[in-house]
Amino acid sequence: MPATTKTNFQLVVNGLLNENPIFRLALSMCPAVGISTTVANGLLLGVAVLFVQVFSSCTISLIKDYIHPRIRIPTYTLTIATWVTVIDLVLAAYLPVAYKAMGIFVRLIVAFAIITMRLEVFACRNTVTASFWDGIGMGLGFMFGMVTLGAVREVLGMGTFLGYDVIGFRPLLFFVLPAAGFFLVGFMMAVFNYVETVYHRRAKRGA
Amino acid sequence: MKEIIKITIALTISCLVAGLVIGTTFLFTAKAKQQNEHLNVQQTMLGLLGYGKDKPAPPALKLHSIHRYILQDAEATRMGYIVPVRRDNGEGFTLVVLDLKGRFLEQHPLELTAETALSGEDRKKALAAVVAPSMVVSFADTAIIACREGKREAYLLPGEFPGFKTFIKAMVAVNADFGMLGLEVIEHEEDPGLGGEITQDYFKNQFVGKSFETLKGLKVVKEPLPPEYERYLESLGTADGELSEQEIAEMERLYREKDIYALTGATISSAAVTNGVKAMVRKFAYRIQILDQAVATGDIPILF
Amino acid sequence: MRKKVIALTAAVVMLAVLGLTGCETGPRFIKQADFDETHGIVLTFAGPVDADWAADKANFSVNEKPDPDILLNIESVRLDPGNTRLTLTLADALNQEQPHQVVVKDIMADGKPLGSTAVTVARSYFGHLFAIFLGALLIQNFVFSKYLGLCVFFGTSQKKSTAVGMGITFTFVIVFASLMSWFLYQFVLKPYRLDHLQIIVFIGLVSLTVQAVDTILRKINPALFKAFGVYLVLVIANCIVIAVPLILADNEYNMFESLMLALGAGLGFLLALFLMSSVRERLEFANVPVSYRGLPIAFIVAGLFALSFMGFSGMSIF
Repeated sequence: MPATTKTNFQLVVNGLLNENPIFRLALSMCPAVGISTTVANGLLLGVAVLFVQVFSSCTISLIKDYIHPRIRIPTYTLTIATWVTVIDLVLAAYLPVAYKAMGIFVRLIVAFAIITMRLEVFACRNTVTASFWDGIGMGLGFMFGMVTLGAVREVLGMGTFLGYDVIGFRPLLFFVLPAAGFFLVGFMMAVFNYVETVYHRRAKRGA
Repeated sequence: MKEIIKITIALTISCLVAGLVIGTTFLFTAKAKQQNEHLNVQQTMLGLLGYGKDKPAPPALKLHSIHRYILQDAEATRMGYIVPVRRDNGEGFTLVVLDLKGRFLEQHPLELTAETALSGEDRKKALAAVVAPSMVVSFADTAIIACREGKREAYLLPGEFPGFKTFIKAMVAVNADFGMLGLEVIEHEEDPGLGGEITQDYFKNQFVGKSFETLKGLKVVKEPLPPEYERYLESLGTADGELSEQEIAEMERLYREKDIYALTGATISSAAVTNGVKAMVRKFAYRIQILDQAVATGDIPILF
Repeated sequence: MRKKVIALTAAVVMLAVLGLTGCETGPRFIKQADFDETHGIVLTFAGPVDADWAADKANFSVNEKPDPDILLNIESVRLDPGNTRLTLTLADALNQEQPHQVVVKDIMADGKPLGSTAVTVARSYFGHLFAIFLGALLIQNFVFSKYLGLCVFFGTSQKKSTAVGMGITFTFVIVFASLMSWFLYQFVLKPYRLDHLQIIVFIGLVSLTVQAVDTILRKINPALFKAFGVYLVLVIANCIVIAVPLILADNEYNMFESLMLALGAGLGFLLALFLMSSVRERLEFANVPVSYRGLPIAFIVAGLFALSFMGFSGMSIF
């Protein structure tokens, strides 16, 4: 893939919709199923991933000319691990309660395929600015997915939104149960697929 | 061969830079982490005693910690308590050693200040200086005594017990007669929506107001939680005046002696919490009585 | 060379045997101590004891090991006919998670005093290890109960042959990587207070293991490498492989416990992959709505598996 020709805005939208990490690329599914029980969890992990993605992308695109091709992957891993450790330490220090709620998932960002993949296909070929906006787009796309899942599960399962009571009772406790994450992600993917087919059909008919 | 050297140098530099970044962050966050954790614990404790944002704790309220250690050598096992004491030059700490029957054996003044007594490492060092080198010292637990104007107001007991999945960390508050003041679940890994509900007010507050006698025989019943009781439990501690005083008194009369209503679909978690709380309070009630006797025998000027 | 190896092995075996026998502290009069139901502890003596002595509750005391100062209330003592089996019944249910200590005072057998001894009653250690293993394999299955490693899980569960290959490779790597990280954590990171380097060290070790297995397998057994080599790269992208060392560090497991957890996690992943691929192979022939084809239906199936795996939770073994 040659250097991108997209504008910064297009890069962000690309990450949010066309190449949404959760629903379209189907990468980083573990947190999407595991801890999307509340909006707050989704938001916080989204922020953490956004931070790691942006900083790693910028770092790699900054030093891309100096990376020896044979140690490309180890360098990526090292970069990601460093930024994950940083965000892990910061969250543990300043938001201890929320950090505990997420368990080991913050530290597991290091193994999220989405970040390595963006470094490999985008950051190592593009300028720092483009990589920055791509990172923002991917991070926001991930956050968007996590918050959507969290919102559905929290509202339907607990009757609350961000901890505030909105319905007053619990419509479907099933959605808070851990296994419901799988079902919901499956449904959401199907919805994205359906929208895409309808959109394509319309476009064809229009042409 | 040249390539290898290049790669090595590149990797070394990357590692050094990464180490520098992590090290700097660590330096900046380590202190904040400790402080925030301390603050969190403090807040949980005050919250259990009924103080919060809209009702700040009175300055006369003092929290004293006593740390229990098990001292073991080839011949015998002993109990060691680190207690805060009055000294000529202010406050200090003393190690009180008891035998297993609860008889007072000896006391050693410790080289600890209010600051260093908070850290387990420093306590261990201070202990090592006074006990015989052959003694194996192992930390058992900590209890906090809340005092106001020289009178004991409450005991705060941090502890952990096995839950449905992993260990549940909790803190229990009891009054001077070991009646329950409150329960706070600090850390748990129960299933969200099922056992995870132990953190909810309508479960936790069921323990509030149970006397020591009731607590000793407390069981879990698999019955649905009566709606008016749930409303009462949810309103506890929020002080928004949703329920009239009459209603509150009625609820207390009806349910004070009742067993704990199990969470729907999480009887094991409910029972685990109930048994855990029961065991914590019972053990503490037994020990504090023995410690008080020993302190009287040894004539130790304790602060609580 | 070979002789040296044999000699070394022999020495290790002898040391191990010595270590095992060293645990036994000579012949003891109390042969065995076990939990009995919820309230009881059963002591088995090597020979018949005096009934009069056994009838006295004051000769026995029971406490939880971490609380030597709190003695539990003994309700009754019962001696079975034959006078070698004795059951202590306690007033309250025992917390069998904790090892208990039973002190038996002035044992009398055939009118002769045999002195006092203390025995520890605990669930058997192998049971404990097996519980960890089974816990990681079924009850807390990493895929269906902890929701980890999903990317690779969905990526490689289309065909049974791929699934099994991936599972085996993964199990192999995770056991090695976990043990190495356990050593490094216990003997380097913890003593020097470098806990915050966990992530970087563990991910490095995993990459190293993968690289090493890759190189060694390529040289030693090219046929095997042909079969499993492709999956090696995927192992790094699997979060279970980094989650297990983190869990080991958080829970302060010892070496055997770590081995069991890693093995359970690996085989659990293999099991999940196998189950899933069996279903997905059949799904190929099913008439699935267009929007659901591919990944969406796979997620729904995984959800059904997760629901059924919830049935294992709360199961306790030993």
